[in-house]
Amino acid sequence: MVTYLVRRVSAAVLILLGASFVVYLLTAASGDPLQELRSSTSANRPQLIAQRTELLHLNVPAPLRYFIWLRGAAGCLVPFAGSCDLGKNLQGQPVTEQLGTAMVQTLSLVSAAALLAVVIGVTLGIVTALRRHSALDYGVTFLAFLFFSLPVFWAAVLLKEYGAIGFNNFLSSPRIPAAAVLLIAAVVCAVAALGAGGGVRRRMVAGGSAGAATAAVLTYVSAADWFSAPGLGPVAIALSGAGAAFGFTALTAGLHNTRALYAAFAAAATGVASYFAVQGLLDRATPLMIMLLAAATILAAVLIGFLLGGDDRRGNITAASLTGLLVGLVILIDRFMQAWPAYFSDSRIHGRPIATIGAATPGLEGDLWVTGLDRMTHLLLPTAALVLISIASYTRYARSSMLDVMNMDYVRTARAKGLPEFTVVLRHAFRNALMPLTTIAAVDIGGLIGGAVITESVFSYRGMGSMFVDGLRQVDPNPVMAFFVVVAITALACNLLADLVYAALDPRVKVGA
Amino acid sequence: MRFGRVSKAVGAAAVTMLVLSGCTAAPGPVSTSASASGAVSGGTAVVAETNAFNSFNPNTGTGSADINSKIAYATHTGFNYIDDKLNIVKNEKFGKYEKISDNPLTIRYTINDGVKWSDGAPVDANDLMLAWAAQSGYYNDATMDKEGNVLAGNHYFEFGGDTAGLAMTELPEIGDNGRSLTLKYTKPFADWEVAFGSPVDVPAHAVAQKAGLKDAAALSSLLKTVPKGNPDEPVTPNADLRKVAEYWNTGFDTKTMPTDTSVFLSNGPYIVTGIVPDQSLTLSRNTDYKWGPAASLDSITVRFIADASAQVAALKNQEADIIAPQPAADSAVQLKAMAGQGVSFNQFDQLSYDHLDLNFTGVFADQNVREAFLKTVPRQDLVNKIIQKLDAGAKPLESQVFLPAQPKYADSIKNNGSAAFVDVDIEGAKRLLNGATPTVRIMYSKANSNRADAFTLIKDAAAKAGFNVVDGGLGADWNTHLGDGSYDAAIFGWNSPGVGVSQIPQLFRSGSVSNYNKFSNADADKLMDQLIVTDDMGKQADLLIQLDKIIWSSDYGLPLFQPPGVVAYSSAVTGIKPMAGQTGVWWNYWQWARK
Repeated sequence: MVTYLVRRVSAAVLILLGASFVVYLLTAASGDPLQELRSSTSANRPQLIAQRTELLHLNVPAPLRYFIWLRGAAGCLVPFAGSCDLGKNLQGQPVTEQLGTAMVQTLSLVSAAALLAVVIGVTLGIVTALRRHSALDYGVTFLAFLFFSLPVFWAAVLLKEYGAIGFNNFLSSPRIPAAAVLLIAAVVCAVAALGAGGGVRRRMVAGGSAGAATAAVLTYVSAADWFSAPGLGPVAIALSGAGAAFGFTALTAGLHNTRALYAAFAAAATGVASYFAVQGLLDRATPLMIMLLAAATILAAVLIGFLLGGDDRRGNITAASLTGLLVGLVILIDRFMQAWPAYFSDSRIHGRPIATIGAATPGLEGDLWVTGLDRMTHLLLPTAALVLISIASYTRYARSSMLDVMNMDYVRTARAKGLPEFTVVLRHAFRNALMPLTTIAAVDIGGLIGGAVITESVFSYRGMGSMFVDGLRQVDPNPVMAFFVVVAITALACNLLADLVYAALDPRVKVGA
Repeated sequence: MRFGRVSKAVGAAAVTMLVLSGCTAAPGPVSTSASASGAVSGGTAVVAETNAFNSFNPNTGTGSADINSKIAYATHTGFNYIDDKLNIVKNEKFGKYEKISDNPLTIRYTINDGVKWSDGAPVDANDLMLAWAAQSGYYNDATMDKEGNVLAGNHYFEFGGDTAGLAMTELPEIGDNGRSLTLKYTKPFADWEVAFGSPVDVPAHAVAQKAGLKDAAALSSLLKTVPKGNPDEPVTPNADLRKVAEYWNTGFDTKTMPTDTSVFLSNGPYIVTGIVPDQSLTLSRNTDYKWGPAASLDSITVRFIADASAQVAALKNQEADIIAPQPAADSAVQLKAMAGQGVSFNQFDQLSYDHLDLNFTGVFADQNVREAFLKTVPRQDLVNKIIQKLDAGAKPLESQVFLPAQPKYADSIKNNGSAAFVDVDIEGAKRLLNGATPTVRIMYSKANSNRADAFTLIKDAAAKAGFNVVDGGLGADWNTHLGDGSYDAAIFGWNSPGVGVSQIPQLFRSGSVSNYNKFSNADADKLMDQLIVTDDMGKQADLLIQLDKIIWSSDYGLPLFQPPGVVAYSSAVTGIKPMAGQTGVWWNYWQWARK
């Protein structure tokens, strides 16, 4: 294992050195950083050229200049020494500083998008695999490829027009007309009927109930002016807790394990009870406190799972912790919703909360909840754009992987011994179908960090992508190199990580020395 | 039962954590209500800007981005400013300047009592002295090669602007108890009024302190004692001045909000109160300020949005109140469509213009060939096909020295001879060529779609008269080929400052650096020699009108068009007027108001 790691890492270092040398030469050959100065008409042009020559060491030939750069970059390997020097950009700002702000922007943009794309993409993939060759399968495949082939700048314009400007207009008087309620309910009804599978009767029941529920919720939301003062309340939290308890138990321990089910329900009940207890506390929340509460939730769940005992305490504990965390998340969402009216009416928001540009409203002041909402309303559109375009690959991979697994012998065995289909799908097939996806997710995240260039530009995020593109456009070599180094390291690290994780998850795979 | 023990311990820890979380968070003094950001009386406006802020000193080479100058303009005052009609407007509440003598040209700048920096220190002659030291290059004794490498000597202040005017001044004198500065030019200089003192944006006392000097007066004494630099006899650099210059060069560069307030001292209507790197910058009212136009808004937020269509969407979603995106046909169409819905929209002519220059060598050495070629250039067609997408009212540019925004433009085009080139005259061109079919190589930037389109149209029209036009379009390094003789004609652009005349000889004088097509005319040279030492606006205009005529009658080339600029703003704000000069829409920011 250690030998393997050392071999992989040393290979990665060599690749990095070789690639950075080539990229450095290509960047140097891509243009003349002095070009704009040469055509300047100012009288002190020679001095300006001298300044820039000195700043970028342009008097040294590019292959040698690489080693000046490399010496500075090598300083980054020493942690906390402050010796990290990736050169300066044309404005004389250290690139490390520029990289710091750019990485924060990109990570905040990419992490939510990656998570959502995996969750939604995998869910759709599994569902379409189970309903192979149905209208639902074809419909989802069609839409996934449609979104996949949408140019992101165009998708962004549509999102801005309808997701931000249109939705903000709607929020100024949030009433859903009856016709719209009926239309949405009809669509939900159709999708549910297609997805339900089984006989005509079962489909009609599924479609009818889903449609009716949607119509009821929408009518209530509109009539109660829910959008102006949204919230979930204890009832919705209890309902989601119960759903989570069933779902997570089925996924982890199996519903036949009644102790695990009880543990999960106990965790959900504790969560709902603590909803009332923590409200006062949450009013004065800090990020640290939220983290401590999450830790406390897990510990409480562990306690519950342990105390319920039985043969499979580990199963109890997992089901209870996941349920507890989900209930905690729902309570957080509810608290964010409580802050909505204050956010909505802020003088800097003036009733148009969904943003089309940037990462935050400048000058907005408020507590954790208000500023948190502000972040979310800014992340909404770019995240949606990224999710739309990256969802297709996850859907397809998850679908084919699930189909593979469903044809395996052990699935047939599971069915043969009389397990319910639900258990076969969730406990036996689904978990194994996820394994190949770790590789894809790891590589995809590496790609997303460097690949959100256009999304960043249309939503005015100044992240890694815009740093790279601006660097190229202005013939500014050092930011381009910094971008390359970060993306290359991420890609190499993600590949390594994927291999290791795969080996850990799948006992058939061994990491060879 | 190892598992059991661990779990018990974990359970105990859980209880402790619960208690702990209660303890750590409860006393947290985080404000709970959003009322802190409640309504403000003068209101606020959000301006979208293309570039991101990176320096509080816009005078250095690295800090000279337009946005830094705009922020400096909003946070500092000076003796005058330039309005949307390109007039110089004096601000006598700040101070006054007067010409004491014409020969030698001597100007006395006096700052009023009570004008002070936001830390309470007075704005005085020491600040002017430092500005002069930086902008004149007086102390430099460096010799450089063509590439700008320092061969010998020393270069102090890395000033990013044009040193042409102040380089002709002697060491200034400080008077009136340190409130006035007298500048003496060794040669007459036409643009003295815009060369100095607006705005006063670098605090001498802060620079002095950072360089280890006692105070601003000590800095001025230092500047008085260091001798003028002579590139022929470089001397050992002065260590103190070196420190001063180094802080001036780099000390104000930052993308984040500095903790040290002396970096962003204000003496204008606003002061910077917050920066989010590459995202936004907040300006709030400078409560002391009363020496100039009073600002109406309480605060201005600047958001950095590079993408033009993102600016348009932000305006539509009311995230930005004022936008001035790079003009592009689609955003102009979008903005026009929004014009009825709470958005106002203005187009204006920028101060840059594209033009066609003919080399006075090679095939174009013969004036008949030049004239024949110019007769074939379909200028109206170029404007129709390239610019009218953006601006339906656009017309071809008719003067080589004036822009339509300048008052004498209309007078000049009446008699400069441009009328002869309004319509394409293929027959006339053929007569002049007399059967010859000259080969003409035209150089332009392929990356600039306007110029590539212009080339195609010019090529097609010239071919009709018998010209054999060769495509000399180049990639990104096109401008390094200017003046190298590898082409016969070039299509490219100039940026005009809009005020002052010193750029004119740079383009048209015999042997001047930017005279790429080797135009040389003794009468024109004489006029320009007179022009550069004339500071009377009326006389300047007369000289320019004569010059315009000479250039046109020499078949120098043709001015083509000005790409239009765009300003759009929400109807919730008032007072916005477009302006083509450097400060752009910011020129009258104090008149911006919220309805």
